[in-house]
Amino acid sequence: MSGTWINLLIDIIISLSLLTGTFFIFSASIGMLRFPDIYIRLHAVTKGSTLGIAGIMIGAFLFLYVEHGIVSGKLILGMIFVMVTSPISGHMISRAGYHNGVKLWDKSVRDDYAEAVKEKRKSIDN
Amino acid sequence: MEKALEFTQSMITVVTLICIVVIAVSVIMLMYRAIAGPTNPDRAVALDNIGVNLMALAGLMAIVLVTTQLNDVVLLIGILLFIGTIAIAKFLEKGVIIERDLD
Amino acid sequence: MNLQIVINIIIALMWMFLSESYTFSTFLVGYLLGILLLFVLQRFIPDSFYMDRVIKVIKLIILFIKELTLSNIEIVKLVYKPKLDFEPGIFALPTELKSNWEITILANLISLTPGTLSIAVSEDNSKIYIHAIDIPDVVESINDIKETFEKAIMEVTR
Repeated sequence: MSGTWINLLIDIIISLSLLTGTFFIFSASIGMLRFPDIYIRLHAVTKGSTLGIAGIMIGAFLFLYVEHGIVSGKLILGMIFVMVTSPISGHMISRAGYHNGVKLWDKSVRDDYAEAVKEKRKSIDN
Repeated sequence: MEKALEFTQSMITVVTLICIVVIAVSVIMLMYRAIAGPTNPDRAVALDNIGVNLMALAGLMAIVLVTTQLNDVVLLIGILLFIGTIAIAKFLEKGVIIERDLD
Repeated sequence: MNLQIVINIIIALMWMFLSESYTFSTFLVGYLLGILLLFVLQRFIPDSFYMDRVIKVIKLIILFIKELTLSNIEIVKLVYKPKLDFEPGIFALPTELKSNWEITILANLISLTPGTLSIAVSEDNSKIYIHAIDIPDVVESINDIKETFEKAIMEVTR
């Protein structure tokens, strides 16, 4: 009898984690559409997608384990991989964008990096 | 009691289908950004996020089809995505991907 | 530290041979017993007990996950805000960390804190340039965030 209760609870946990994961991924896409410049879009992408993937992978792992007794560590590995790599790719793309000359948003208030880049260019020219 | 269990199990199927539809919509939204995006880095970011969405879709399909065959796909998409994004970023920044003279 | 890990693995293997069952779970039990033995006998073994460092690494990972969750909630709030009235910008954050590894971990952790994204590291590794969504908010809180991160990283690497 108690086994049924645990199954019930785990089913609900699976549904909730799938739904939260989807919600975060969808919000990241909406942020991608709404935000005005690439740096703010990167904020949405690097942060929103990691927790989204985590939710969906945990849901899939629990489902495969509880319903069919399959332990698949690859899903957990994929989740950890995305968590580790998404800040790195965000860093690389934002730096590439800055050196490519992508402007900040009009309402930006401060830019300390511009001076450093200018000095570096000057030293290369000399 | 048994009925409640049946209900939750059919609920998982419905929830999975809803999730697949929502993520498909979000892929379409990202496609718009990847095609129309004002600059090249924008397109790179959109492609990166499309890859993440594909990973999520593969995970959801593993639930629908009840297989472990798709787990390799999830991991592979993740790895190729990271390498591709780094390569695009280096190309946009320096014009080359592999630098010959390491300083 | 390396010696201690080797001793621990030897104890685990000995446990496996003594109980005559060659499975992973026996190895795990042996490893846990080895940790217990090393903890009891730590006065007689060179260097400090290596699980101390493992616990610090686990603390760093928990910090990482906590910041990730908080920043996700923050960004979702911003996405569904009807008006985009924040003030983004780039500012320089001086850091005391020196080696490449430490800088990498710090930059990754900063990327995952609410409202910040590391853009570049200066040539002499002394500054990290950070893009913040809402500058007035972030500049106030960044200093104590930075101190917690630097402390946690230094405890692991030094």
